[in-house]
Amino acid sequence: MSDLNNGISRRSVLKGAAVGGLGIAAGGSLLAGCGDKATGPLAYGARSVDAGPTAQNEALIAAYTAKTGNEVKYNATESNAFQNNLSQYLQGTPDDTFEWMAGYRMQFFAEQGLLADLTGVWDAIGDQYSESYKIASTGLDGKQYFVPKSWYPWGLHFRKSMFADLGLNADNVTNWDEYLKMLDGMKKKGLVGFAAGDKGGWEAMGTFDIINARVNGYQFHVDLLAGREKWTDAKVTDVFSHWAELLPYMNPNVLDLEWDGAMQLLLQKKAGSMLMGSWFGGNFKEQSEADYADLSIIPFPEINPEHGRDTIDAPIDGWCVAANGTNNDGGADFLKFAGDMEGVNATLAAKDANGALIPMTSANSGQDTSTYDPFQKEQLAVMAEAKYITQFLDRDTRPDFAGPVVGPAIQSWFKNPKDVAKIQDTLQSQWEALPPLA
Amino acid sequence: MSSTAKDITKVSRRRAFSKADRTTLGAFVGIPLFFHLLLVWIPAVLTILLSFTYWSGISISRIKWAGLANYQNIFFDTPAFWEGLKNNVIWLGWFALIATPLGILLAYQIDRQIRGHKFYETAYYLPVVLSLAVTGIIWNFLLRPDGFVNGLFGRDIDNAISFFGNYDINIYVILTIASWRHIGYIMLLYLAGLKSVDSALREAASLDGATEWQTFKKVVFPSMKPVNIIVIVITIIESLRAFDIVYIIYGSSAGFPILGTLVFQNIAGEGASMKGAAYAVILFVLSIGPIIAYLRATFKSDVQ
Repeated sequence: MSDLNNGISRRSVLKGAAVGGLGIAAGGSLLAGCGDKATGPLAYGARSVDAGPTAQNEALIAAYTAKTGNEVKYNATESNAFQNNLSQYLQGTPDDTFEWMAGYRMQFFAEQGLLADLTGVWDAIGDQYSESYKIASTGLDGKQYFVPKSWYPWGLHFRKSMFADLGLNADNVTNWDEYLKMLDGMKKKGLVGFAAGDKGGWEAMGTFDIINARVNGYQFHVDLLAGREKWTDAKVTDVFSHWAELLPYMNPNVLDLEWDGAMQLLLQKKAGSMLMGSWFGGNFKEQSEADYADLSIIPFPEINPEHGRDTIDAPIDGWCVAANGTNNDGGADFLKFAGDMEGVNATLAAKDANGALIPMTSANSGQDTSTYDPFQKEQLAVMAEAKYITQFLDRDTRPDFAGPVVGPAIQSWFKNPKDVAKIQDTLQSQWEALPPLA
Repeated sequence: MSSTAKDITKVSRRRAFSKADRTTLGAFVGIPLFFHLLLVWIPAVLTILLSFTYWSGISISRIKWAGLANYQNIFFDTPAFWEGLKNNVIWLGWFALIATPLGILLAYQIDRQIRGHKFYETAYYLPVVLSLAVTGIIWNFLLRPDGFVNGLFGRDIDNAISFFGNYDINIYVILTIASWRHIGYIMLLYLAGLKSVDSALREAASLDGATEWQTFKKVVFPSMKPVNIIVIVITIIESLRAFDIVYIIYGSSAGFPILGTLVFQNIAGEGASMKGAAYAVILFVLSIGPIIAYLRATFKSDVQ
């Protein structure tokens, strides 16, 4: 009796398997024809819980699901927590595709075998991107591991209405002396000239980047961050002494404010200018359309005529596929859509809580720059003036140096700006004490 | 003669365990021991070993022997370490000389049943119920540049009182916050100890004409030796392991370095290196002395 039962059940199981196999085979050939559907459900790891990016991601995912029928599970983590956890995340059970940054920070994880090869995606959509984006998406082994989403420039941000009230013309602020004179005028009117925050430890890295590039040029900056130049060099002292000239015009509580505190100073018209990445424009827009329309950007002024304003920090954000994810093909398929103009358009169509479009400068060269709003056009102009593009200090040097060493060193400089020589010494000695790269 | 009698009782007690008893006891000791070894001692030993290596925390095959390099780096090349150690020492001094004595004083006052002692007891104990992380969130909300206190004084962020960013005062701000909780904790411990002091001792002292201070110093305090040791050890450990409040307020940037945040900053995230493990070992060595004292005191009072 029991034998018979077993026989039947075994037979039916085999039959079921055969049918299933046929189904899979049929499905495979069917789907091969229409391309996208074979990849199945996947998980998306977002590096932000803010309203703007979330709305963009939701719009993109909805468009992808509508096109392919593939379900996407959305997991969002606050960006600092996401970064602190990334090593463990990528070695554990990561989402199939996740938001990350181009350059060194991507190459670091690609080299450890934690990112999936996206060369296939680049074969499909690579012609929609300029060469510089491909370089920023390429690992040390020459393969692509990253799909860019958007870029933003670092520059001096100010409010047009404030400049008008103060009788200032931004076009007249092209070099260091003019800039200091302007800051002095603002100070006399009781304003903070240069809004700054460095409580987070990363914000002021942007100021170091740009002053170093202006004083010593692109090549020295890149070589310094790669360890080919020394932090004890007199050229680095020069960077800090220029920076110190800005100190009297900064808010006194630099170490008590994070980037958003500095932004509040600009928003509340208590500060005349702020050096920051233009990504924060979205926060102005959330505040009101009028505030956003009032926002403007110019390149950081020239210091050394030899280098002019030829360098800019313009970080690229985008996506990777986690090698340890359960569905690498699905992740890659999603990014093929997200990076394609079709996905970019879906992202650009996202609206914020007020029903307004969320501004984004896409990395895809298909985005029509004539549709840019005035602030984005200014970003493009700032970008166009630069000959050399860097990412950002913590994206251009070793991660075990940027966060644990450079961040605290700059903070201790703010505590005691006279300690420059000591700070340079410890920066150099800590660089030399770093473990050899594998 | 008596020793033989003792031996006999010992032997007979041992015989009293049946096989089932032994299995039960074995399980009671063995299972916790297994988890203790697995979750505490093995990671601790591994951390010590890792502190002598170079490793980014990714793929075990990439571990490289570093010898003492991480320690050399910390002691000779990292000013943040000495700054952090200094902050921990100030923290310890503040707790030992101000917060803990205050807690003891409060406990004593409440034990003497001064007017409204029930209210004070509840009021001082309340912060202990909150975790340190919650304490940090509350005080951050109160004192940050756009927080409640600056709002109360009508100060905007450009001229806000810099409680956390002014390095002449911020350690005392942090210590006040930490004490807010620590005082209640010590008070409670000490109050429990005071309740167990035989009231006959106090009566005898007052009959002999001792003042309140003399009674406390010569009679009550010495009779509470086990509690005193626990209070001292807890004060030391709390000062050294401090992390939560600082992390909540300053994040992982180590804007206010203490050993606890330095461990985290160097072991978490993309910048992970085994320098973080070396920091952890240094912290471990600094704490192990008080912990040993604590364990000995606990065992001694158990025997009594």
